[in-house]
Amino acid sequence: MASAYYEFYRGSSIGMALTDSLDELITSGAITPQLAMKVLQQFDKSLADTMVKQVKSKAILKGHLHTYRLCDDVWTFIVKTPVFKMESSENVGAQKIKIIACKSGDAIDGGKK
Amino acid sequence: MSNKIVPTIYRTVIDEVIAAIKPEFDEYGVAEDVLAELQSKWESRVIASHVAEFETPAAAPPPPTQPVQSHQIAQTQQALHQAVQSHAYAQPVLQMPPMPHGTYAGLHNPYAAPGVGVKAEPLESRHLLSGSISPSTPQYTLPPLNPALAGRHLAAGGVLPPGYAAAAYQPMQPVAQARPPAQTQQTAGQSSSRIPQVDGPSYYDGSDDDEDDRAPGGSNGAQYPPRTSHPSVAAPQASGASTAGNGGGDEAINSDLDDSEEDLDEDVDQGTAGETDIVFCTYDKVARVKNKWKCVLKDGMVHVNGRDYLFAKCTGEFEW
Repeated sequence: MASAYYEFYRGSSIGMALTDSLDELITSGAITPQLAMKVLQQFDKSLADTMVKQVKSKAILKGHLHTYRLCDDVWTFIVKTPVFKMESSENVGAQKIKIIACKSGDAIDGGKK
Repeated sequence: MSNKIVPTIYRTVIDEVIAAIKPEFDEYGVAEDVLAELQSKWESRVIASHVAEFETPAAAPPPPTQPVQSHQIAQTQQALHQAVQSHAYAQPVLQMPPMPHGTYAGLHNPYAAPGVGVKAEPLESRHLLSGSISPSTPQYTLPPLNPALAGRHLAAGGVLPPGYAAAAYQPMQPVAQARPPAQTQQTAGQSSSRIPQVDGPSYYDGSDDDEDDRAPGGSNGAQYPPRTSHPSVAAPQASGASTAGNGGGDEAINSDLDDSEEDLDEDVDQGTAGETDIVFCTYDKVARVKNKWKCVLKDGMVHVNGRDYLFAKCTGEFEW
């Protein structure tokens, strides 16, 4: 059940905030690592569901592809001078950005899951 | 892509996780205020990250639905157990010495037997921490081992009735369970350092070769600290530093470390050390024509320039 959700969003800001908080609670002995794992699994699920349900915005990303890599169905791109063009016609740029992309849920549904 | 929706989405996720995980906390017998603590820690970290403008600092936690009463009794009991556990944690070594010696244990049996039922639990939950046994049924996993253990100690000269002995030795059983069989036999002879040894083998289970290297180094190789943090990382570094420095001649001391170093190198190469701007997303399609790449990315969490953005869909067009 829970394994059907990606865990890699745990590396995001909100995911790291959760992981760090759980770490603290484990260290202080308030919760067990197992319970923390359950929380993280719930996070995987809640985050993925919420994103699909509530996030509708789109964007276009342009840039210079510095590195690309496909391993175990995970694409990794390192894009230099990326520019995100948002719907609000606002642009966000950076020096370099790393993109970690797992196969999308549709692809999984049809495939290995 | 939007930064404005970030607070809403994060709020939703936090509330949903906290609400959905509540039954688990009940099941594990963890008090509700710990859950509240988790939520406040989580929220304050998210807010402190300044990835978006969070208007309501630590907004009111979602009114937790209160069918609590059904769980109340169980919780209190569990809380009691926990209190006991936390005490027992402090002195695991004290419990251990009596066990290896049949006669010694015999002397203490009158005291040990009643206490054991309580003290056995902390030990079990210790090993539960390493994920070996389901928490709900710790007691039921014990009986099968009783005869063997009782028999062993009887053979060692104990005069105790088997059942009595079995009760006294209960604390050992989770230990034996948590340990690979081979390890059990090896360490059975060494009486002094039970607890550390228990943690040692669990290291070996998922270990790399480097830990195997250390184990024969000392007969007390089993005295590695529990896997609470990475202090074990420091040890190999210290010993390895004198001989090989950072040299790759030895096999990797800690592959995680090595990876992170590579990542750092990568960053240094490109002139932007420190925090990476990163996108977590899924992909629908990745296509390339000559050096032009096009990809369709979905459900992305973007972290750029210290801010978070979310997108449902993003078309990437890159040239390599």
